[in-house]
Amino acid sequence: MLEKQIPFWSLLVREVMRFYKVIVQTVLAPIVGSSLYLLVFGVSLGRQIKMADISYLGFLVPGLVMMGVLNNAFQNASSSIISSKFSGDLEDYKVSPLTYQQIIWALALGGLFRGLIVGTVTFCIGQLFYWGMHHQFLGVAHPFLLILFLIIGGLSFAMIGLSVAIRVKSVDQLGAFGNFILVPLIYLGGVFFSIKTLHPFWEHLSHFNPVLYFINGVRYGILGTTDVSIPLALGIAVLTIVSVNVFSLYSLRNSSFSRW
Amino acid sequence: MKDYGKVKAVQDVSFHLEPGEVFGLLGPNGAGKTSLISTIVTLEKPTSGQVLVYGFDVTRQPSEAKKCVGFVPQEIVHHGFFNVEEIMRFYSGYFGYWNNQKRIEELLKKLSLWPHRHKKVRQLSGGMKRRLLIAKALSHNPKLILLDEPTAGVDVELRDQLWELIRELQKEGITILLTTHYLEEAEALCQRVGIIHKGKLLALGPTQELIEKFTQREIHICTKEPKSAITHPLLISQEGNRLIFRIPSHQTVGEILKSLQISLDDVVDLQTKEGSLEQAFRRVIGEELSC
Repeated sequence: MLEKQIPFWSLLVREVMRFYKVIVQTVLAPIVGSSLYLLVFGVSLGRQIKMADISYLGFLVPGLVMMGVLNNAFQNASSSIISSKFSGDLEDYKVSPLTYQQIIWALALGGLFRGLIVGTVTFCIGQLFYWGMHHQFLGVAHPFLLILFLIIGGLSFAMIGLSVAIRVKSVDQLGAFGNFILVPLIYLGGVFFSIKTLHPFWEHLSHFNPVLYFINGVRYGILGTTDVSIPLALGIAVLTIVSVNVFSLYSLRNSSFSRW
Repeated sequence: MKDYGKVKAVQDVSFHLEPGEVFGLLGPNGAGKTSLISTIVTLEKPTSGQVLVYGFDVTRQPSEAKKCVGFVPQEIVHHGFFNVEEIMRFYSGYFGYWNNQKRIEELLKKLSLWPHRHKKVRQLSGGMKRRLLIAKALSHNPKLILLDEPTAGVDVELRDQLWELIRELQKEGITILLTTHYLEEAEALCQRVGIIHKGKLLALGPTQELIEKFTQREIHICTKEPKSAITHPLLISQEGNRLIFRIPSHQTVGEILKSLQISLDDVVDLQTKEGSLEQAFRRVIGEELSC
């Protein structure tokens, strides 16, 4: 049984080593970005934003943690596929006994690891800023739910990255997906604001954004507060990962592994 | 069969390989060689038909079939940030070998890549890159190796090295299918060949038999004294004491001399030029073109 999974473990090790070899670009750069968000929005502008039961910096930290996980999981899987399309080693996956599910889970876990590193470091930096402002650290209200939402979110977005990258015909198309679909969904998913502050129409519309449930799941895990029902968020998270897994499988079966 | 929309890349092609042989799939560019090889390694799905590798259907039992096959693509694969040893480790891992260091070391030494094992692909010479592709393909001890245009664009020295390697692999009992449009290569290496053109398999058989079937021998006879004008259906040129005939493979020089009543004492010099695979290939392709 374990022997059958050797192809999966080999690809997973390759995926982790791939981002580790360019760690400045894959991990440090996103951490710098998250730190700047914390400093500019959380510390500087955040002082002027009044929230009911927590400072704006405290509200921002969970959102940025999840944003880091989702963005980096997506980018890791998609850049792995795209660079393999250029270098030609994507064909190696197809000519070897790797199954489609092994490819999906190896790339998804590779993306999740990178996302979790960025998310964890962002959380630690957020804690430092929070301590500097309030002389205390943020607690973790529901650790199990926090980890669950981080894992499901990271895996789902890595699978989306894989599916999109295997289907696109150019880097431009991948960029368009990221810029016009992914970034708006994340930014409008409640990273920087509570949807309760929106006009009722936009608040209602936001409920169709699946990212909202992932971000609020993490916020609930850390702060114990949320804009959405947690059972509903959990249900949507599970539905998302099942859907994107099926879509990834469909994409791998029906896309070319040939080099560009 | 393999179609790309309205284009029929491979049509009604059927052949089998004998264990331990070197089989050459010949054809001009765009003949369907790469489409055929891509179907065997599952990079392409056949539109219809069946490909069996050691009894395993590549569509229905892909894992079992893939374990039997080592694939050497035509173009160099770069592998980004990884070095030679890492590439070998990952690749053999994809085939189910977790701790394959002994085999990796053996292959890298055999292919003179061991001193370069810490280099990235872009730091290797063209020959080393080709050898790395072969090392990868051999990492899981396949019974069948598919070489897609192995010597396309390589210099003579590297070509000779690759030919030698192919012969060594055959001695080890590995079956080899190579595609090429270099007919000299196929003639030197392949026990059997198939000629493919516009997706159709036009000729198939032992290399020597195809040469004999589709070519003629040229005989140059130099006599002591010039002969008077000769009329013979196989004569193609007569200049002074020099006669040139083109005869079918089954006909002998003795029969020609006898029919012309030339005794061996009259012959000063006798040369025969056997037909080549290139001539056979041109004939087969030419016949197809004239149809």
